[in-house]
Amino acid sequence: MIRDPAPAIRPGEDMRSVGEAVTTITLAHPAGRRWWIAFAGAAALLGLFALTLCYLLYEGVGIWDNNNAVVWALDIASYDWWIGVACGSLLVSGILLLLGVEWRGPVSRVAETVGLLATAAAGLYPIIHLGRPWFFYWNLPYPNTFGLWPQFRSPLLWDAIDIVSFLVLALSLWYIGLLPDIACLRDRAYAEAARQIEAVAPTRKTALLRARAYGILASGWRGSAAHWQIRGQAYRIVALLGVLLVVSVQTGASVMLAGSVMPGWHGTLMPVSFLVHAVLSGVGVTAALMMLVRGVYGLSSLVTDRHLDVLARLMLCLGCASAYCYGAEIFDTFLAGDAAGRAVLMRRMEGGHALAFWAAVIGLTLPPQAFWSARARRSPLILAVVGLLVAAGAYADHVMILVVTLTQDFLPSSRLPYSIDHWGVATFVGSIGLFLTLILLFVRYLPSVSITEIRRLVPTGAQAAAAASTRRPEGERDAPLWGVAASFPSEAELAAALQALSSLQDRIHLDGYGPVPMPRTLRALGLEGRSILPYALGGALVGGAAFYGMCIYATAYDYVFLVGGRPRFSWPSFVVPSVSFAMLTGCLAVHAALLWLNRLPRLNHPAFNIPGFLNASQDRFFLAVELRDDSPEAARIERRLAALPQGSGRPLAIARIPR
Amino acid sequence: MNGNADDRPEGPATAQLFTPGADAIYRLVLMTLVACLVAVPVLGAGIVRSSYVTGVGIAPSQPVPFSHKHHAGELGVDCRYCHTGVEKTASAGLPPTHTCMTCHSQIWTGSDMLKPVRDSYTQDKPLVWKRLNKLPGYVYFNHSVHVTKGVGCSTCHGDVTSMQMTYRANAFEMQFCLDCHRAPEKNLRTPDEVWNMNWKPAADQASLGPKLAAQYHVRGGERLTECGICHR
Repeated sequence: MIRDPAPAIRPGEDMRSVGEAVTTITLAHPAGRRWWIAFAGAAALLGLFALTLCYLLYEGVGIWDNNNAVVWALDIASYDWWIGVACGSLLVSGILLLLGVEWRGPVSRVAETVGLLATAAAGLYPIIHLGRPWFFYWNLPYPNTFGLWPQFRSPLLWDAIDIVSFLVLALSLWYIGLLPDIACLRDRAYAEAARQIEAVAPTRKTALLRARAYGILASGWRGSAAHWQIRGQAYRIVALLGVLLVVSVQTGASVMLAGSVMPGWHGTLMPVSFLVHAVLSGVGVTAALMMLVRGVYGLSSLVTDRHLDVLARLMLCLGCASAYCYGAEIFDTFLAGDAAGRAVLMRRMEGGHALAFWAAVIGLTLPPQAFWSARARRSPLILAVVGLLVAAGAYADHVMILVVTLTQDFLPSSRLPYSIDHWGVATFVGSIGLFLTLILLFVRYLPSVSITEIRRLVPTGAQAAAAASTRRPEGERDAPLWGVAASFPSEAELAAALQALSSLQDRIHLDGYGPVPMPRTLRALGLEGRSILPYALGGALVGGAAFYGMCIYATAYDYVFLVGGRPRFSWPSFVVPSVSFAMLTGCLAVHAALLWLNRLPRLNHPAFNIPGFLNASQDRFFLAVELRDDSPEAARIERRLAALPQGSGRPLAIARIPR
Repeated sequence: MNGNADDRPEGPATAQLFTPGADAIYRLVLMTLVACLVAVPVLGAGIVRSSYVTGVGIAPSQPVPFSHKHHAGELGVDCRYCHTGVEKTASAGLPPTHTCMTCHSQIWTGSDMLKPVRDSYTQDKPLVWKRLNKLPGYVYFNHSVHVTKGVGCSTCHGDVTSMQMTYRANAFEMQFCLDCHRAPEKNLRTPDEVWNMNWKPAADQASLGPKLAAQYHVRGGERLTECGICHR
């Protein structure tokens, strides 16, 4: 029963309306009062977080009621949950990007932001759960005065490397995705600032400052065909690295448990169920947040029923996968598990923390079943509620896995009871405050849905061609010339014009600018073969090999420290942190290539002098001919462009651009 | 549709938001940040290892300007004459004022320099020296096992007989201890050489060291680098 899916964009939207719908949120901010109320609430929770951390630093981790047996409780459960949410949302965004799914625009930005901010919330826990948090860097390999190396065979070290890499990857995926949107925002903010300066509005200085702030963030993005090409490649490569890292991080989290000798932590299905629950909670939080943004800012034309439907189906699949994981674990333990494993399972189901088990099983598996109904799949409210319920279920799952095992291991002498303490809850609620504060700042100051990705859905014929008019600002005739620029209503016409000028290519430098990726322009410019894949591969291989070499040097040669009878050269255990580190260096290499090949950052550029260039990030396409000298070439190019037939290369306007 | 985009009244004349100079500043800031990523850790590591933090080579002023060079070097007083516990106990021991007075009740009895010593003796109040060689509370260190198993004074304390005013010769960071614990045979001496402040590894140390280690029952490497050897 295959039906035509609902459209991913409401008919009648064009590039400009998409850009305006999204940038108006940050520039005019229609939901001002509600935002401030929410922000005050989130900031209060953040204050609670600060208070808890101060008390924690003063008093120590005992305030959480952790004890010698239950060394990991809400602290690590919160960490695992946050990093799970981050992994889930990043995985969804990354996979949608890698599959080239066209409707991903509204989903990807929220998912990437949740990924980044949840990592920020998670990243604090490994530090604050240490007895002496100010020595957290002792976990990292650095030239120290102890003459020691960290233990590279330990999953704890893998985790330290994982989280650093993950933070860098989440940040860079988010930023690369955001880059053209910030440029769009910069141009809109500058147009607004110019209007205010003209009107001598009292807020004109703030408006200009805001435009400059976005300008600095955008690093001089001009939307040239080459920029788009490299950015698109960088985005996909970082997404691929991120997807690989997600698997590494989530399986690493379960291996960290399996590295111990505690009962109930060795199921071979555990890495899979960690990943499933992580993705489910990530999708849940992403969905809830998307519904909130959609409702508050009235974005139902961009975040359509189609997106709701897809998220709901995804949650339904993952809910069923989660049910399978629980079922398989219970079945397997009772059928083939040892006595200790069965005892742990029984304690999970009916022990002192049975509430966590039932909350996890019911929260993760039941709510998504609502999405068998098509009506529920299109209801934003149900989507948000189910999203939050599965996220809560995933939290209960982490508490259940950690606490039930730790309260009772094999030794009767090391059994200590644990009950959830209000400081532990306060820490977690505080970290939610941190997350919410950052989310609110994000929706306030940055585009909360991807303008670029949605614009790619706009049908190409959406812009009507305007009558050609050749404007030449008279005053600029005498200034030294940088080049000639022409504007076009569509990429097809830009590409046609570039084709017409390509015979002059050895004497001039051609470039095309526009608000969306421009494959045809790239072909006309002869740049389509460029790839930054070698940079990424090189960076990842060099980084991974260097890290692996360090592990071998440290463990087998420089710091021979025999523990647990492991061999000096325990090569498999070095693979995990090396792979994570390779993702990090690959990502950094991609960034270096992105900047270097695009010759960015470049805040001031002659292209910005093109009349109407602010529209290059809205709905106009520009051609720039950079001249080698002040030759009569300029006039020839102008003639050639003006002679092109209407609708296939005739520019809307032609202008000479001063240097 | 927006066919007349170029005639829209809004918008400044150009999209140029920054002056050409802004680029130089921006790039300078970026490069400074990247440089700081490298420079700050390097600087921090340098400061931690500097004499300013470790106190190596810096002689603090003491209540009496006692010279090891004069007493232990020129006069040849044995280390153990003052540091009596070094062969038997964990601590080498600081001498009580009585030890000083065994000689100084007879010689230099009127010296101004020695007035604090005489005051300490008559008032029965110990001299308060500034401690040079400190170890953290969680490090278990025993002098006797080191000196009776062929680790000489100068290996850790330097050539004390050349110090007019005494200073720390080594920083005693964990690295320092581990260097020797990982390969003790490089620093082991015959029993008669332990008190020799000018000892240099013998020419045949490579063959002598392992022999001495066997003789002293010193199990280097794996055994001596166990955490519990020093942290109990």
